[in-house]
Amino acid sequence: MKQQAAAASTLATRPLGRNRWKPLGIQAGLIAAPFLLFGLFLMFYDVNPISLYGSMISSTFGDLYGFGEVLIKATPIILTGLAAALPARAGMINVGGEGQLAIGALFATWFAVFYLHSMPFWLGIPLMLIAGALGGATWAGITAFLKVRGNLNETISSLLLNYVAVFTVGFFVHGLLKDPESFNWPFSPEIAATLRLPIVNGTRLHVGIVIALALVAVVWYVLKYTRLGFRIRVLGSNNLAAERAGFKVSWMQVGVLLAAGALAGVAGMIEIAGIEGRLRPATGANYGYLGFLAAWMAWNSPIRLVFTAFILGMITVAGNSLEISSGLPSSSVHILMGLVLFFLLGIGRRFSR
Amino acid sequence: MDKPASVGNGPKTTLLQARGLTKRFGSLVANNNIDLDIDAGSIHAVLGENGAGKSTLMKMLYGVYEPNDGEVIMDGERTTLHPPIKARAKGIGMVFQDFRLVPALSVLDNVALAVSTGGWRLRRKQLREQIQEVSAKYGLAVNPDADVWQLDLGQRQRLEIVKVLLVPGTRIIIFDEPTSVLVPQEVESFLKMLDLLRKDGYGIVLITHKINEVLACADQVTVLRAGQITYQASRSDGLDGDTLIKSMMGVKPLKTVTKQTAVDAAAGEVVMEVRDGIIKGNHGETVIESLGLTLRSGEITGVAGISGSGQRELAEVMFGLRPLAAGSLQIKGKALTGGPADFMKAGVSFVSEDPLKESVIPGFTILEHMVLDGISVQNKGTGMDWKQIRSELGASEDAKALALADPDRRADELSGGNVQRMVLSRALIRKPDILIISYPSRGLDIGTTRTIQQQLITLAEQGTAILLFSEDLDELFKLSDRLVVLSGKRLSSGYRPSETTTSEIGYLMLKGESA
Repeated sequence: MKQQAAAASTLATRPLGRNRWKPLGIQAGLIAAPFLLFGLFLMFYDVNPISLYGSMISSTFGDLYGFGEVLIKATPIILTGLAAALPARAGMINVGGEGQLAIGALFATWFAVFYLHSMPFWLGIPLMLIAGALGGATWAGITAFLKVRGNLNETISSLLLNYVAVFTVGFFVHGLLKDPESFNWPFSPEIAATLRLPIVNGTRLHVGIVIALALVAVVWYVLKYTRLGFRIRVLGSNNLAAERAGFKVSWMQVGVLLAAGALAGVAGMIEIAGIEGRLRPATGANYGYLGFLAAWMAWNSPIRLVFTAFILGMITVAGNSLEISSGLPSSSVHILMGLVLFFLLGIGRRFSR
Repeated sequence: MDKPASVGNGPKTTLLQARGLTKRFGSLVANNNIDLDIDAGSIHAVLGENGAGKSTLMKMLYGVYEPNDGEVIMDGERTTLHPPIKARAKGIGMVFQDFRLVPALSVLDNVALAVSTGGWRLRRKQLREQIQEVSAKYGLAVNPDADVWQLDLGQRQRLEIVKVLLVPGTRIIIFDEPTSVLVPQEVESFLKMLDLLRKDGYGIVLITHKINEVLACADQVTVLRAGQITYQASRSDGLDGDTLIKSMMGVKPLKTVTKQTAVDAAAGEVVMEVRDGIIKGNHGETVIESLGLTLRSGEITGVAGISGSGQRELAEVMFGLRPLAAGSLQIKGKALTGGPADFMKAGVSFVSEDPLKESVIPGFTILEHMVLDGISVQNKGTGMDWKQIRSELGASEDAKALALADPDRRADELSGGNVQRMVLSRALIRKPDILIISYPSRGLDIGTTRTIQQQLITLAEQGTAILLFSEDLDELFKLSDRLVVLSGKRLSSGYRPSETTTSEIGYLMLKGESA
C-alpha cells in the first residue's frame, strides 16, 4: 500500500527551499530595478543618481523632522494599502481606497464640525474615528451591494466610485459643509483643537501611525490565526471550494469590502484630525492609489505592506528634496513611482502564469 | 491534409524510436529508461495504473517535458521534441484527456485555431470542406457550426481528433485515455475508427488502463509500473490479459469488493426527494425536465449517463449549489431552498466531479482542507484548534484505508489520485446522512478503487443514502442498489443491477427510455 501511495505521488513533490526563497529574491529585484532605471534617467539630466539617492535618504532619515514626514505620508498609504490587501486575500480587487478615504474624511469632518466640537478628546477622537470608518464602509458598501446583487465587477465599480466620491466631497465643501468665514473658498470649518491628534514635538508627526500599525496587527492576526481569517483565505484562493464548504460567499464578500472601506475611511479621518484640520476637495488625493500600489508590492501581506508603504512615503517626501538639490521638478518622482508600478505589473503577470 | 504513406503488408516502417527516456521530478523518477517504438500502421498501447508514468511518457513524446536522459530518433536522426511546437512539426499529434477547446467558439473556429490555412485570411470555406471530408472518412460526425459548449464529451473528442488529422504532416497520434468519456457503444465505433487510421498508415499510441481495449486492438503493448517498463510485447507474441494485469499491478494482492445484495429497497426511509424538478444549465437551457428522484437511507443510487447529460447539474442541485428552476426538494420531509450551508446542516456531503478545480485551495495543506468539510473544528481562543484536528485525522480509519498523504503536504502539489484520496477521506470522515459523490474512482489505481468502493458500501450499510455518479458502468453495477439513467433531458429510474444488463443500460444512455 505504501509503495503504491509513493508511486501515485510521483509528480507531487518539489523542493521546498527554492519555493520559499525565490519570491523574496524577486521582491528584492522588484524594488531595486526601478531605482536603477530612474538612475539612468537622472544621469541623462546630468544629475548624479548616487548623490541624489544619498540626499533622498538623508532628507528622510537624516533628522527627526524628515523621518516624521515620511511616517506621515506612510500612515494613510498603510491604511489604504490594507483596504486593497484585505479584499485581495478574499479574491477581490478593491481600487476604491481613494473614494473610501475621501468619504471617510467627509464623515469624520461632518461629525467633528457638527456634533463633536465640544467633547473632550478621549471621547471625541474615538467617535470621529468611528465616523470616518463608517464613511469608508458606506462607500465600499455601494460596491459590495453592486457586486453581490448586481453581479457587477468590484474592480470597475470601486474605481468609478472614486470619481463620484471626489465630487461628493466637492458638493459638501461648496455647500453644506462650507466654512462661513472662508471668503467662498471651498473648504470646511476647522475642527476643534481637542479633536486634533497629538503630535511629536518638533515635527508634524501625529499618533496616526500608531493607529495604522495597530490596524495592521489586527488584520494580520485575523488573517493568520482566526477562523474568520482562514475562511477569508479559502475564499480568496478558491471561491468554488469555499462555496462547496458551505461558506456564505456573498455575505463574506460584503463583510470584507465593508471592513476594507472602514480601513480606508480611518485613513481619511487621520488626514483630517492629524494633518489638515479641515476638509478640502483634494484632501487625501492619491493616497488610495498609492495604497493599492503598496499592497501590490507587498503581495497583499499586511506586515510587508508596512515596509512598502514606508518606501512609497519616502519617495513622496524625497520628491521635495529632488527639486531643491537637483533642480528637477518634484513631480519627477512620479516617473519613479510609475516605474515601480510598471515592474510590479510585469512581474505580477509572470507570476500568475 | 497529407496522409502518411500507406504501408499495407510491406516491411514495417518505424516512425519514432525512443531510447532510454528518463524524466525526474526532484528526487522522484517518473520515467526510468523507457524504450519505445512507434510503427506506421500500428497501434501501440501504453498500459499502466494511474501514477505509473504514462502521462509523463506521453508528455515527453509530445514535447511538453524535456527528458532528463535518453534520446528520440525520427527519420534516422536524433531529434528534440521539446517544446510541443517541434513535436507537432515532426508530425506528432495528441488527443488530450482534458480537451483543449474553446467552449465559446464554434467547431469550425476551434479547428481554425489549430490548423493554419496559410496566409492571413481565415479560409472558412476550405476548412469546412476539409472537416467534412475527414469526418466522413473516419466516421467522426461533427457539425462544424455548433458551438463547442453544446457538444457532449464524445463529440468533443471527435473534434479533437479532427483537429489533429487536419494538421498537415501528422503521422503519429497519441490518444490519452480516449475511452474514459465514452459509453460502450461509442467505444466500439471509436475502436473501428482507430482501425481505419491504422490502415491509413498512422502510427497510433493509445494510453489506457483498460485491458480489454488493449486486447481488442493493440499491435504492441508496453506496460508501465512505477515509472518502469514491466512488460513489452507485440500481438504476434500473443497477448493475454492475466499477464497484462500482473505486470500492471505487480504482486499486490487485490481485495474483492463484496456487497450484500438487495437491502430491501422499500425498507430504508426516504431522506431526500425531488419532485417535478426542472434543472437549467449555465446558459439557461433546460438540462433535465420533470425530474423525480428519491434517495433512501442505506441505499446506493447509481446515476448512469453519457458524460454531459446533466450529471453535473443534478449533483449541484442535490447540494444546493444550483437552485431548482421548478419543483420541490425535500430532505427528511422538510423543503430546502437554501445554499450548500443549509444542505450541509441537513447532513449532506458532496464530492465534486472536478476536485482539482472545485475543492483544492492553492497553498493550503491537506490538514487545512479537512476542516472545510469533514472534521468539525473547536475554537481555541480566537483561533482554531489545529492540534485536535490533526489527532482526529490521525485516528481516522477511513483516511488510513485510503492511504491519505501526509497532512502537511500542500494540496495543490498533490497528484490527481492523492487529491481524490483527500476529498474522499473528507466525505467519509463526516459520516454524512446523505452523500452526493461524483466519479469516486477517477484517478485512482485499482487497489484504492476497490478500497473506496468497499468503504462506500460500508457507509451505506451504516445508513447513509448515497447518490453515486460514475462513468464506469461496471462500478455502477457493482455498487448500486438502484440505477437511474440520464438521457435526453430525462431521468429514467427503477432499474436494479440484478435485473438488467450493462448493454441495456448503455442503450438507454444513448437513446433514452422512449426508444
